[in-house]
Amino acid sequence: MLTLENVTKTFFPGTVNERVALNGVSLHLEAGDFVTVIGSNGAGKSTMLNIISGKIPLDSGDLHIDGKSVRNLKDYQRAKFIGRVFQDPMAGTAPDLTIEQNLALALKRGQPRLFRIGVTSSRREMFTEELKTLELGLENRLKMRVGLLSGGQRQALSLLMASFTQPAILLLDEHTAALDPQRAALVMKLTKAVVEREQLTTLMVTHNMEQALQVGNRLIMMHEGRILLDVKEEEKKKLTVPKLLDFFAQVKGAQLDDRVMLG
Amino acid sequence: MIPALELGLLYSIVALGVYLTFRILNFPDLTVDGSFTTGAAVAASLLVSGTPPVLATLAGGLAGAIAGVITGLLYSKGRINGLLAGILTMIGLWSINLAIMGRSNIPMLRQETLMTPLRENGLMGGPVSILIFAIIALVLKFAIDWFLSTDHGLGIQATGNNEEMIRSLGVNTSRMAIITLALSNALVALAGALIAQYQGFADISMGIGLVLVGLASVIIGQAVIPARAVWWGTLAVILGAIIYRFVIFAALAAGLDPNYMKLISAVLVVVALLLPRWGLLKRVPSLRQAFSGRATRPDLEKEVLESC
Repeated sequence: MLTLENVTKTFFPGTVNERVALNGVSLHLEAGDFVTVIGSNGAGKSTMLNIISGKIPLDSGDLHIDGKSVRNLKDYQRAKFIGRVFQDPMAGTAPDLTIEQNLALALKRGQPRLFRIGVTSSRREMFTEELKTLELGLENRLKMRVGLLSGGQRQALSLLMASFTQPAILLLDEHTAALDPQRAALVMKLTKAVVEREQLTTLMVTHNMEQALQVGNRLIMMHEGRILLDVKEEEKKKLTVPKLLDFFAQVKGAQLDDRVMLG
Repeated sequence: MIPALELGLLYSIVALGVYLTFRILNFPDLTVDGSFTTGAAVAASLLVSGTPPVLATLAGGLAGAIAGVITGLLYSKGRINGLLAGILTMIGLWSINLAIMGRSNIPMLRQETLMTPLRENGLMGGPVSILIFAIIALVLKFAIDWFLSTDHGLGIQATGNNEEMIRSLGVNTSRMAIITLALSNALVALAGALIAQYQGFADISMGIGLVLVGLASVIIGQAVIPARAVWWGTLAVILGAIIYRFVIFAALAAGLDPNYMKLISAVLVVVALLLPRWGLLKRVPSLRQAFSGRATRPDLEKEVLESC
């Protein structure tokens, strides 16, 4: 479904600030895989997601979605295949537009946008059904400006907008990190439900090891631009946070930074 | 008072154009100073050479659209700062406008124009002319409302509201910017063509400071009707353009030197920019966001933080 072939990316090449963000990353996701990605700050997790979505170009290597190379497609051209939820709850929705207008925007993901009314009564019915799955009561507030919603509500809406058109790949970039624990748990619950319901191939970056172990059928750990650990299915179920920390210390002999420990 | 209402309705078309760029696209477009005159120049030159008035007026609007496309290309493909892109087109248009007109002023007093039927039947300055101008403004308002509510128009609204998000949903935001700038400048040029015919001449300097007239109309309108929805927004700017014209009219009637008109417009806009910061008129959506980079919405951030 998604294949990265020996992808490299260096920021500020040839300057004193040169930093290798991805150092030959290869990864293959089968259809329906739900992969969690962990690693310390600067490990290349977000860079990997940004390269997949096309927000930043890769230096070398190739990228396939559904068997087709998307290397030369711009971010908005790849949007057809990729749904994305950002870390910032403000980033995934248009604050001055209403809930139903935002959903109408998401409904046309990757399709030509024509001169037909965006929010029709039949679409509104469909949006109501979709919003009910969030169980936040948003289906009764279709005409409310999204800017008036709380961070958790906006993130839940972003998740719905990224997923309900069933894109080939769903990218989640620490999408619960900016929320308080209660709302993070809610958004995580919704994530699990939607991935299962829509059978989405998912790549989720997280700083939270517990979370990375609880969800998904596969876990990868990144460090300094490489994938160090790739654990699947049964093997993943046996993993624990202490085992992960041990492994990390062994391989790198490095201390994890505070943020990961606390996560 | 009636000429003020007539002019207000004609200038409301400018305000609608400025609303599209400043409010919807969140792009401070200064092209309008040039494209307004371009519309007038094209229409006047064509009229003088015997083109039917309707065609000449529409051609004026089309010329404005081309000016908007140029600013859009400079901004999106050339990656030139939006303000500078508009200024470059505006300055360039000065020479083009002169070339189109062949001189700095084209009188049309004896020409057959769109206004001739009104004038000859003594309907100018009465309820009929006001009704006709109001219908033109409202038709354009409803056309914009409809356009912005289509899938395409929603994409434009989102481009001005959260560019990264709408790119992640597959919209080519450069194209959206170009289309909006073309539409906006087409409206402004159309207004230029109509106003030239209304006043009986086209003049090379008629567009100077026009962007402030448009902005002042948008600000006044949104102070009166602060709703953010497009339907209310377009109505608000039409109202704003009329109120602005009345203010100018009143200032002139009170004996103010017409030379101070531009200063008054500028001061009005400055006041509107500063008032929200001082806590007065907090409900007026801040105009500053248009100048201080995209998607900076301190008011919204606060709103959301409080509701979390």
